[in-house]
Amino acid sequence: MAQDVLNALTLGALYLLFALGMSLAWGTINVLNFAHGSIFMFAAFVAHLLVAEVALPMPVLILVGIVVGALLSLLVQVLAFEPIQRRAQSSHKAELQILVGGIGIAIIPLSIAQYVTRSVPFGYSAGDFEVTSYDLGFVRISNVAIITLIAAFGLAAVLGWWLKRSRSGLALRAIGVDAEVASIMGVDRRRLALLTMAVAGGLAGLAGVLLTYYLGSIAPETGDAFLLKAFAAIILGGVGSILGVTLGAIVLASIETLVLVTTEGTWAPAIAFGVIFVMLLVRPNGLLGRKEVKRT
Amino acid sequence: MNSTASCWRRAPRAVALSALVVSLAACSAPGGEAGGSGGSGGGEGLPDTIKIMSINGLTGPVAFAGTNAQKGTELALEEIEADGLLDDTTIEVEFLDSAADVEEAASMASQAIADPSYAAILGPSASAQASAISPIVEQAGIPTVYVQAGSDGVLVGDYTYRLTPPATSYYAIVGPYVETQGIATASVIFNSGNPTLVQLGEETVPGLAEEFGFEIVGSTGVDVTAQDFTTPASEVANEAPDAVFLELTGPQFPTAITQLRQAGFEGEIIGFSAMGSGNLASAAEVSVDSVWPTNYTPTQADEGSQAFLEAYEATYDETPNNYAAEAYDAMWFLARGIAEAGSADRAAIQEGLDAIAEEGFAGAQGAITFDEHDARVPGVLVRWDGEAEALVEPTS
Repeated sequence: MAQDVLNALTLGALYLLFALGMSLAWGTINVLNFAHGSIFMFAAFVAHLLVAEVALPMPVLILVGIVVGALLSLLVQVLAFEPIQRRAQSSHKAELQILVGGIGIAIIPLSIAQYVTRSVPFGYSAGDFEVTSYDLGFVRISNVAIITLIAAFGLAAVLGWWLKRSRSGLALRAIGVDAEVASIMGVDRRRLALLTMAVAGGLAGLAGVLLTYYLGSIAPETGDAFLLKAFAAIILGGVGSILGVTLGAIVLASIETLVLVTTEGTWAPAIAFGVIFVMLLVRPNGLLGRKEVKRT
Repeated sequence: MNSTASCWRRAPRAVALSALVVSLAACSAPGGEAGGSGGSGGGEGLPDTIKIMSINGLTGPVAFAGTNAQKGTELALEEIEADGLLDDTTIEVEFLDSAADVEEAASMASQAIADPSYAAILGPSASAQASAISPIVEQAGIPTVYVQAGSDGVLVGDYTYRLTPPATSYYAIVGPYVETQGIATASVIFNSGNPTLVQLGEETVPGLAEEFGFEIVGSTGVDVTAQDFTTPASEVANEAPDAVFLELTGPQFPTAITQLRQAGFEGEIIGFSAMGSGNLASAAEVSVDSVWPTNYTPTQADEGSQAFLEAYEATYDETPNNYAAEAYDAMWFLARGIAEAGSADRAAIQEGLDAIAEEGFAGAQGAITFDEHDARVPGVLVRWDGEAEALVEPTS
C-alpha cells in the first residue's frame, strides 16, 4: 500500500514537472503552447548529445536542459507567437492560432531528433550519475525518484509563491485577467511575456533532463505522450492555478495507479480521463481554476 | 417540348455514357488487360524496366524501420541485377516516404494503381497504413508485399503478401528455454494498445505456461504510450516471479527494464523482437541478459543469413537488423515472382508469387515458408550482452 502511494506520488511528480511550464504560460499570458512537449524532449536530447561526448554530472546536464529549453521557448515566442498575437483580430483568435502554431512548430525539433536517433531511445548512461535504489522495508525508492519528487513539488511551491507574492507575479496575473488593463496600469506585457516563456521553457528543459534520468531513457515521441497528461492535469486542476495543476497531476496519477493496482491495467487511461470528464461537467473551471469575470 | 423527341436526343448520350462505364469497369477489374501491366513494353516477356513503388515511413516515428528496410531493398536490387535473375530487365524501385500518415500511404498506393507502369508495391511497415491500403490494392489487383505490418486486415486476399512472420508464429521457441532455466513462475506486462502485443500477453504466453508447466502469477496491461512503469514494476517485484515477460514497443523496453531492476526484481527478463535493433542500448548494464525470440539476428547460422550479413556489412559497413533482413527477403521474393511469371503483368506476377510461396526459399531470415500469403521462419532466441545480440543455443 505504501509503495503504491509512493508510486502514485512519483507519477504525479512526473506529470507536474512536465505541466508546470505549460500551466504557467497558459494561466498568465494565455499561451497554450503545444510545442512544450518538443521543447521538453529536445532539451533532454541536447543533453544526451553532450553526455555522449563527455561524461558530465547531473547538475550540469540539468543546467544544459534549462538553458536549451529557455532559449527554444524564447525563439518560439519571438518568431511565432508574438507575430500571431500582433496580427490576430482578437485575443480569442490569437489563442487558437497559437495552439495550432505550436502543434506545427513542435514537428521541427521532433523531426530533427527522430532523424538523428532514428527513434531509438536515448538516455544518459554515458554520464557519471548512478541510479541507486534504497530498500526502506515498507517502500523502495531510488535517488532519482527522490530528486524528482523534491524538484516537482519544490518548484511548484516556489512558482506558486512567486506568482502570488511578488510584484512581477502580480503583474503576470494581471495580464492573465485582462491584458489591456494591465498594460494601461504600466505592466510591460512584452517583457513579462518573454520572461514567462523563458521560465516555462526552462521548466520544460529541467523536466526533460530529470525525467530522462528517472525513466532511464526517452524517445523523441515521449514529449507528445506527456502533453495530453499535462493538459488533463491543468484542466482538472484549473487553468491559472499552480496549486490546481499540482492537485490535478496528483489526482490523475492516483487514479491511474489505483486502476493499475486493482485491475489488469488496460482501462487506466480511459477511467482516468473519464473521471476528469465527469469532474468537468460538475465543475467546469476545474478544482481551483480562476473564475471568469463577466461584465453586466 | 416533344417528349418523344427529347428522349431520342438523350439516347446517344446515354449510349456513350454506358460505353464509358463499361470500359472503366473493364479497366479496374483485377487482371484486366487494359490496366494490369506494369513497366514499359508490356505484353509477352519482360520489359527493359519494371517499376515498383516502395511506400514506407522514411521519416517520423517509424523511420528506423523504414530507412533500414530501404537499405535491405537496395542491397537486394544490386544482387538481383548482378545475379541476372531477370536477364537484361532492370527493376526500378521508387522509394516514397509516407512518414506516419495513413492518408499519405493511401494516396501513394492509389497513384501506383492508376499508373500502369507500376508492376507491384512494396507496402508500408506500419500496420495502420498497411491495413488502409490493402483493400484498395486487392481490389485493383496490384501485387503488394509488406514487411512488419503485423495486424489483422493487412493480408486480405490474393494480391497481398507479408515477409515478416508474426511473432506469435515463432514465439514458442521460448518454451524449451524456460523449461531449461527452471522457470516455475512468471509475470506478464504487455502493451494493451497493440494487437500483436495483446495477443502475445493474453494468449501466447499463457499458452506457453500451460504447455511448459510454469505459472502466470500476474498480468498487467499498460497504456499504448506508457512511459512510466513504476507501478507494474512494483507489482512484479512483489510477486517475485522467476521471470517476467515484457510485450512492449521498442522505446518502452529500456524504461520498463530499468524500473523493474530498480523495484528489486532480479529474475529473467524475456521479451519480444522489438527489443532488438539497439533499443536496449540506453538501458546499459541493467538490460544485460535479457532474452527474446526473433525472426532474425545477425549471428544466426543459416547460409542465407550469413551471405546476407556479409554482403550488408561490405556495402554499408554496419551490422544489419531485422528490418533490413525482412525488406531484403521481400525484394528477392518479388523478383523471384516476376521471374516465375516471365512478365510484368500484375496478374501474372501474382501467380508467380503464389508459386514461389508454395516452394518457399532461403533468405536472410533463414528458410522461409508460407502459410498462405504470410511468411513463416523457424525463429531464433537471442540474448543481449550489453553491446550486441548473441545467439542462445537451441535446447530440445
